[in-house]
Amino acid sequence: MPANLDVPLVSREALPGPYALLTFEHPVIAREARAGQFVMIKAAVAVEPMLRRPFSIMATDPARGTFTLFLKAIGPGSRALVDMRVGETAGCLGPLGRPFDAPPEGTTALLVAGGYGVAPFYLFGAELRAAGRPYHVFYGGRSAADLPFEEVLVDRGDAVSLSTDDGSRGAHGRVTAPLEAWLDAHPGPAALYSCGPDAMSHAVARLAGARGLPAQLSLDPWMGCGVGTCLGCVVRIQRPGEPRAKWRPACTEGPVFDAGTVVWA
Amino acid sequence: MNPLETELCGLTLANPLLAASGTYGYGVEYADLIDLSTLGGVVSKGLYLEPRDGCDVPRIVETPSGLLNAIGLQGVGVRNYVRDVLPRLERYRTAIVVNVCGDTVEEYAEVARILEDAPRVDALEINISCPNVKQGGMAFGGDPKMTHEVVAAVRKVTKRPVIPKLSPNVGDITVFARACAEAGADALSCVNTLLGLVIDVERRKPRLAFGTGGLSGPAIRPIAVRMAWQAARAVSIPVIGIGGIATAEDALEFLIAGCRAVQIGTANFVDPDVYARVAAGLTAYLERHGLRSIGDVVGTLEFPGR
Repeated sequence: MPANLDVPLVSREALPGPYALLTFEHPVIAREARAGQFVMIKAAVAVEPMLRRPFSIMATDPARGTFTLFLKAIGPGSRALVDMRVGETAGCLGPLGRPFDAPPEGTTALLVAGGYGVAPFYLFGAELRAAGRPYHVFYGGRSAADLPFEEVLVDRGDAVSLSTDDGSRGAHGRVTAPLEAWLDAHPGPAALYSCGPDAMSHAVARLAGARGLPAQLSLDPWMGCGVGTCLGCVVRIQRPGEPRAKWRPACTEGPVFDAGTVVWA
Repeated sequence: MNPLETELCGLTLANPLLAASGTYGYGVEYADLIDLSTLGGVVSKGLYLEPRDGCDVPRIVETPSGLLNAIGLQGVGVRNYVRDVLPRLERYRTAIVVNVCGDTVEEYAEVARILEDAPRVDALEINISCPNVKQGGMAFGGDPKMTHEVVAAVRKVTKRPVIPKLSPNVGDITVFARACAEAGADALSCVNTLLGLVIDVERRKPRLAFGTGGLSGPAIRPIAVRMAWQAARAVSIPVIGIGGIATAEDALEFLIAGCRAVQIGTANFVDPDVYARVAAGLTAYLERHGLRSIGDVVGTLEFPGR
């Protein structure tokens, strides 16, 4: 059950560029959050923007009662969070939304991340490790500067394939290129998971469809409330057996959707 | 004695704070998160006869101290609401107000008639002011004759309190307030969102898929306070103030201007605990000013003679 709390920042680690890892005290999120779920959060000092912003939960520590976000300062909302000092508070509601489903028995989970979309895959990796399930991370960005999370994954011992659009780090090209290469080299059963820009998630959905693989996509539309009341973050979804697609809020029925149910514009 | 207790159209509310339509779902969405009895009432998302799909995306864009939205009244329809939602609200001690929509006068009346057979509905708010639909909505609320016709049609089929929600997108709101009162309204909700437009200058297109949208949030509050004040002076029925309320002080502005109660909208998205916070602030205000009841604040504005 989500809880709405004023949460103190307990630690802050700057990463290269506009990135940071922020750890907040929130016992409910620490205890209950599952990979793919998110929080609505806003630095208490911030007046503008007015609304909280959604961020995937990167890690939890039930013993300490904390959770961690991996943030990129993009606009004023994320900037105010990244600039927070230890001891300052943020208004925070979570954990929210539908988490990733566990991969089907016997499959390897392939986690496809675009830019800061890598965040939920840290927590997902922890869950998969705990369950003894194999996984592989595909982490892509426009250039090397967009891959500040590489070290965090490598430190944990994750198998990671990197790619950049400009070739400055890892494979040259889209993240789906090393993914396809991996699938060609490993004909065993696999389950795909994606979190990143819509174009990337769409490409993963197409690839999964073409190869007959199960896939789940974490989508990131503009969100107002996080609890299904403003209906701003709706996504066109058509589930098996439904005669037509419906607008469904990503905050409560997602953000994780089965790839085959997403109707792309 | 609860100093915030508020009488409105024969209903006794725990406090003068209601959740505004379109910002609180049907109420059940928040039931696990906060104690609904900390609200005087919940106004439902707008309901038509049939389920509605709503607008294409993007539907919302944040503006300075505001939110521009064009949701398009996506909703489950009144029959599904009565069957699936109302039973889940039965156990909460908060007033249930249903926001009634229609493409035609007949549809408004039919939705109201269906609700008349439903238990637990305390009042009907008549949505004649949504800026994000092609028919109905603001088309009715922008014409005093149509306003009168819709309100009278609903009045005819219900014994429950009828509360038209007025649009701020008019020249003189008192004309519309009087039209509602003459048609038999029991109270007025003032005001809905202001018609707005945000442009993406790179694409040279509106940010919202619908084009224009309705502006809410603190950005519109002074306009809303002024219009609620004008409406409250024009009619003898109670006025419920709406527009950018996020704090006790904001709520007090509307109450002092003459509103019997207020609705909180956009601030729900910022912090679901806003009701507890505002209620505590109102109680503290009463103590500080030596007042026994929130009703003692209503309409106490000392406006300069000019």
